This record gives sequence, structure tokens and C-alpha cells, in this order.
Amino acid sequence: MPRRQYRLVVEGELSDQVALVLEGMTMSREGGNTVLVGPVRDQAELQGYLQRLSDFGLTLLSATAVEEETRS
Amino acid sequence: MSAEEHARGRLRLAAIPEAGEAPLLAEAKLAAPCARAEIVARPRLGQALDAGEGTPLTLVAAPAGFGKTTAVRAWCADRDPPLAWVSLDAGDNDLARFWTYVSTAVDRVREGLGRGALQRLRSTRAIEEPIDELMNGIAALGQGLVIVLDDLQTVTDRECLASLDYALDHLPARVRVIAISRADPMLRLARQRAAGRMIELRAGDLAFTTEEARELVVEHGGVDLGAEEVRLLHERTQGWPAALVLAAIWLRSVDDPRLAVHAFGGSHRFVADYLSQEVIASLDADMEAFLLSASVLGRFTPELSDEVLTRSDSASILANLDRSNLLVSGLERGGWYRIHPLLAEFAIAQLAALEPTSAQEIHRRAGVWLSERGFPVEAAQHAAAAGDHDLLAELMVKHHLTLIRTGDARTLLNWVRTLPDEVVVRHPALAVGGATAAGMVGQSTLEQRRFLRLAERAQAEHADRFGPYAHAAAATVRAATVDGDVGLAVAEGRRAVELAEAHAEAGSLLVAAHAGYARALYFAGDVNAAWAAAMRALEQPEVERIPPGHALARATLALVSVEKRRVETARIHAEKGKSIVARLAGSRSWIGANAAAALGAVLEAEGHLGEAERELAHAEHFFHDEVATVHHAWLLVALARVRVRRGRLDEARTALNAARDEIGDLLDGGRVTSMAAAVEAELEEAAARAAGGEILAPPSAAELAVLRLLDSELSARQIAVELFLSANTVRTHTRAIYRKLDVNSRADAVARAQEVGLLGHTESPR
Repeated sequence: MPRRQYRLVVEGELSDQVALVLEGMTMSREGGNTVLVGPVRDQAELQGYLQRLSDFGLTLLSATAVEEETRS
Repeated sequence: MSAEEHARGRLRLAAIPEAGEAPLLAEAKLAAPCARAEIVARPRLGQALDAGEGTPLTLVAAPAGFGKTTAVRAWCADRDPPLAWVSLDAGDNDLARFWTYVSTAVDRVREGLGRGALQRLRSTRAIEEPIDELMNGIAALGQGLVIVLDDLQTVTDRECLASLDYALDHLPARVRVIAISRADPMLRLARQRAAGRMIELRAGDLAFTTEEARELVVEHGGVDLGAEEVRLLHERTQGWPAALVLAAIWLRSVDDPRLAVHAFGGSHRFVADYLSQEVIASLDADMEAFLLSASVLGRFTPELSDEVLTRSDSASILANLDRSNLLVSGLERGGWYRIHPLLAEFAIAQLAALEPTSAQEIHRRAGVWLSERGFPVEAAQHAAAAGDHDLLAELMVKHHLTLIRTGDARTLLNWVRTLPDEVVVRHPALAVGGATAAGMVGQSTLEQRRFLRLAERAQAEHADRFGPYAHAAAATVRAATVDGDVGLAVAEGRRAVELAEAHAEAGSLLVAAHAGYARALYFAGDVNAAWAAAMRALEQPEVERIPPGHALARATLALVSVEKRRVETARIHAEKGKSIVARLAGSRSWIGANAAAALGAVLEAEGHLGEAERELAHAEHFFHDEVATVHHAWLLVALARVRVRRGRLDEARTALNAARDEIGDLLDGGRVTSMAAAVEAELEEAAARAAGGEILAPPSAAELAVLRLLDSELSARQIAVELFLSANTVRTHTRAIYRKLDVNSRADAVARAQEVGLLGHTESPR
């Protein structure tokens, strides 16, 4: 199964400690939104992240898959 | 339980009188959130819910923090209908568990309403029967009942949702189901909407209007804001109720709320994040500590929070907080509480950032406390969250039999899976319990074998803890699974029965022991003894309460009946076995595959070869494993035989070759070896006949009728008209004819048929 990076964008800027909850994702703030980028093993893991975002009441703006360029 | 007791919300383990073993339920899930006024009265929501009168389904769907539960409970408090409330969570993602909670909740409305359903759930039927019983019970109530299912998004299991669809279709008049969910559930919503059998309340409806926001923050919250600030606050939060509540809490504590709102309005921070941080920052150190820790607990009582946080003042803190109904919500008075859930998420994150290990300790203490006070389900959840394996193991040892008997094998298996091998080995009951549960709901035989190996280790390393029950249970599983040595399985079976009969503590295993012994005897070829043993399983008084053993015995009885050519008897046993399994574990399990295999054998005997092949193929697929097993070899042989009889010789050969390979790897294949030889002979003979030009699988009478008309100028449609069939049916028959005659065209089919003399007959070849 190809390992992918996912780029999730949620509405609003998140504080650092909340980002800690989403282990494995790197966070950056852009234009009033938060961008979370990280490797995702499979769809189950992705659904887990999406569930966590929903638990915090976050609005998902986009979720895009990017093929990993280099193997980690 | 009297109304008074209900109101007091006595904390006790849910128990159903006279029903034998009580299922393990979390009491707090059945406690309806406190019947209290909303912070801000929103009559428009009440009216929206009123509009659902007469429709079976009301869906309240919105993300976290939209006040779904609040709106519904306020409506319930106001209209005061007979109310059955269930707060669901991920553990209820299972047919038996789900309907046990619902039936129990209904039973709380008036004692006895749910009893029929609960008893049916305990015995071995398809899920429709307990649901029908429940509907009957509800109809007997005589007044409109409201069933609330809170957090329905946690239920994702298809069978569960399908059963809910069924229930909605059969709901008595004047009964409503209000489903509260963060996501649209996978029910047949489109159908319900189209038929006008559903109303919805969504985020757009639940969001606060500007006026409502003003009422909440300014009037109730006592915060001094002007119209401009209210508008700004409303716009920034988009009316998100949870955020507005947090805003009210926060703004109450600041010196200049107007300024604060403008700063908030100008920020890009995610609303809930901003407000949560502000609220937490506004608390003094002691309250902050309380809040952060209590957030970890989820649902808690003042006593629990005192114990876990080593305080003595939780009750008064909660009473104070509860009064304002903002930070904390209370469930039944004097009972369970929980922190504002959205705030709790951020609080947990903050605590994790500050003190990474404290959450774990909180969970651990909570697990111990809850376990001591008789709340095993809640205790287990906390123990699992704490990673406290020994505590979890202890809980499971204490309750594993109840879980298995009440059909809750899935919960047991999920918990056991989280334990490291060492812990399982230290608690032999879990190794054998795990093996049993894996047999009931496990996806493959791999897990069962893993647990049996752990049981062997437990026996070797902790012999003192490996009493007669453990021995008997392990022997039962070995007998039933047979693995690679039939002779050994028979010996284990005999031993299991002896132990179960000799020791009272192992008496509960009698059904399973006899059933396992019977299965081993069948494979040994001793069908009479197999029959006798299976019958003894059925004769045990508690057989209906041991679904896996019951189903296995039925499957064996079906197989023996087929052997003795008593096909009708076989059909009865096979169907019974399948219905037990359907309610229990679904077909994707060891016991399900066994039931399918038995049904396959019956179908073959009845002449329904296509269906027989399907069932056997399904069972074979399940038993396919890295290791050679008697069960798998047997199924390959059975599959080969059906294929021979269907005229599919190549596929039969493939299966038979695979079977021979596997038999070669077995230590003792019992009767499977001779079965394989018999099928081999059949195959040779059929191959010879086919080579000699004979049709192996004769067309049925219906197919023959179509075949005769293929030998004419009639089009397919005209043939359909001629025979009073649908065009589709004619196409199906034609395809079957081509397959049986091994041809690809109408002309070839006619030619071949003439060749073998099919068209010359006037009576059907069958």
C-alpha cells in the first residue's frame, strides 16, 4: 500500500498544544486556517485523524493526498 | 424500580429480575440527562421537535457542541412523554449490546415492557424476534413513547444499523425515535425522507440566532455588551452554541468584556481553542486543576472525583458549577456529571501538554474505584485508557463468563486483545476465554490458535492457577477445532466431558464440551457416537444460553443426518444452527463458517447444488489458513464433490488436489482421507463419462423447456411469452444450458442437445 502524506486544512488557527494531540502531523498556520501535514499509513488512520478533528468541532476545509517523495 | 428510585438515580448495576444472568451494562448510559430548563429557552426548537409527532424518526444531526442533547432533553422535560434514553458509545457497536440497552431503557419506563425482548436476546434467534417483542411491549404501553438514541454516530456496524431500520419500519403508532448524532447515520434516510416519515434538526436550526446569543451572554451570563459586540460575537462564533457558552463563562470573568469581544473578533484563532484557553486561564489554580482532571474522567460522580483527585470537596464544587449549568452538566440528580464536552477536549490536550502522565494515573485510579463499586464496564474503559493491564485482566477474569453468556464475546475479545501475552498467561481464564470468544466472533482461526498456545503456556507456567475449569475449557476448544489430529481431538473431547461432569466449577462447560466431542467424533467417522454426544449437548438445561456450543451441536447433527439420508431432519438442524449464528456473530466467524458448511451439506443432499457450492465455498474461505487443518481439508473435499456433481470437473480437480496436499500434512485426518478417496473415484468416473460425450449435469425441466424452444425460429422474447416466463428468466436458463452443454451459442446448444439425444425425449431426464 502506498504511504501517502495527507494535507488537511481546517478553519481557524489552532494553538500548539492542540496540535500535539494529532501526533505525527506537522502544523502550520496559513491565512486564518491551520494546515496539518503528515504521513498516513492507511485509510483507517486517516479516518482516525478526521474523527479527532471532528471531536474538537473543527471544520474540515480540505483533505488532499500527496504521494511521499522520499521514503522515511 | 419505583418512580422515586428512578428519580433519585440510584447507582447500581443494571439488573433484570428473574432473567438469570444480567448483562453488564454501564448504568450512566441509561440515565437521561437531568430534566432541567435550558439556559436560554428556545421555543422554536421545541416547536420543531413537536412537528415530528406522528413520524417514526426524528434526526438531530450536527457537529459537537451544537446543543443537540440539550435541546432534546429540554423538550422531553417540557412535554414529559414516557421516555427511554440511551447514551451510546463505541462499545455498543454490536447487535446484542445495542438492543440490550434499548430494551433495558424501555423496561425502565414500565417494568416488564422490555422483558420479553431481553429474554429473546438471551436465547438464540434472529434479531428481528427480540425487536418484534420490544415493539409488542411498547405497543402495550398505551401512550406515546419517545426513545432517544444519543451519540448514534458511534454505531457504525451495518447489522446494527440495518436492525434499526427494521425497527423504524415496525414502530407502533405514536412511538418516536429521536436519533441524536454528530454525523448522518447510515440508515435508509432517503427513503424515510421521501415517505415523510422523518423530520430533521440540523446545525442551521440549532445555531443560536443573534437574539438568542444576546439572551445567553448578556441576560443569563450577566455580561455587559452592546448590540455591536453581540453582533460581533455572534458572527465570529456563527451561533455555535458551545462556543457561546464558553464565551459567556469567559466574559463574566474579564474587566472589560466589550474590549475583550473586539479582540476576540479580530483574532483568527479557532473559536473553541481561543475560548477554551481563555476560560481555563480565568480559573484560579485549584479550579483549573479540578477542571483539567475531571475532563479526563468523562462521566463521573462527586465520590469518584474526590477519590481520583484526592480531594473532599467535589460535591460542593460541582453543585456550584452545576447551578450555572455552563461549565458542568449533571445527569440524574446526585448522580453522574460531566464537564462541558468541547471544553473537556481542549482541557485534556492542555493537561497532556503540561503533565503527560497524569491522565494515565487518573484513568488508573478511576478504574480501581469503579471496579470496587461494581461498575465493571466503566472500570474496564478506564483501565484500558490507563494501560493498566493487570487491572483490566482482573476485571475480565471476574466477568468473562457473563460476557460470553450474554452474547458479548466481542467486548471480551476486544479487551483481551489489548493485553500483552504475559498478562494473559498469568490469567489462564483469559486465555481460554479468549479462545472461546475468538471462536465466536473472531475473523479467522489464527486468533483461536494464538489463545490456545497461550493457554498451554499458562498451564505450564502457572499450573496452580490452571484449575479444572481451565483444563476443561482448553480441552473443549481443542476438541472442537480439531486442528491437525482427529485422534487427539477425540481424546480431548472425551477429557473435556469427563472434567465438566466431574467438577462443579466446570459444569458450565457441559454444552460446549459435548458439542466439541461430537464434532471430533464426526471427523473420526463414528457418526452414531457423534449423534449421541451432540444430543447430550442439546439436553443440557442451559443449552439455550450457550449459543456457540448449541450452534456447533446443531451443525454436527445436520451433518450426521445428511449421512443417514434423513434430509428433512438435517434441514431443521442446519437452519436452527444458522439462526443462532445470525443473532450471535454473523457468518464471518468460526462458528458461522461451521453453520454454513452444515447448510451446504444439506443443500447438496437436497439437490440445490449451486447454493450448496456457495455455502461450502464461503466456509472453505474462512478455514483457509497457513496451517493444515482437518476442517479445511474436509471442506475442500466437500467442495470438490459438489463440483463433480455440477459437472465442473476442472474446478473439482483443483479443490481435490489442494485437499490431498493438505491431508498429507495432517497428523491424523480421520474420515477425511477416505472421503477424499471416494470423491476421487467419483471424479474419475465423471471424467470418463464426459470424455465419452455424456452430459454430466442434466438440464432441469425448466431449462429443458427453454432448450426445446431454442430449436426453433422463436426469439428469446417470444420464447418468454410462449412459456409464460420473464425475459430475464429465459436468459438465466439459457446461460445455464450453455454451461451444462459446454457451448457458447444457440446453434451449438441445439446441435449438442441433438447429439446427446436431449431433444428426442418427451419426459425430463431427472
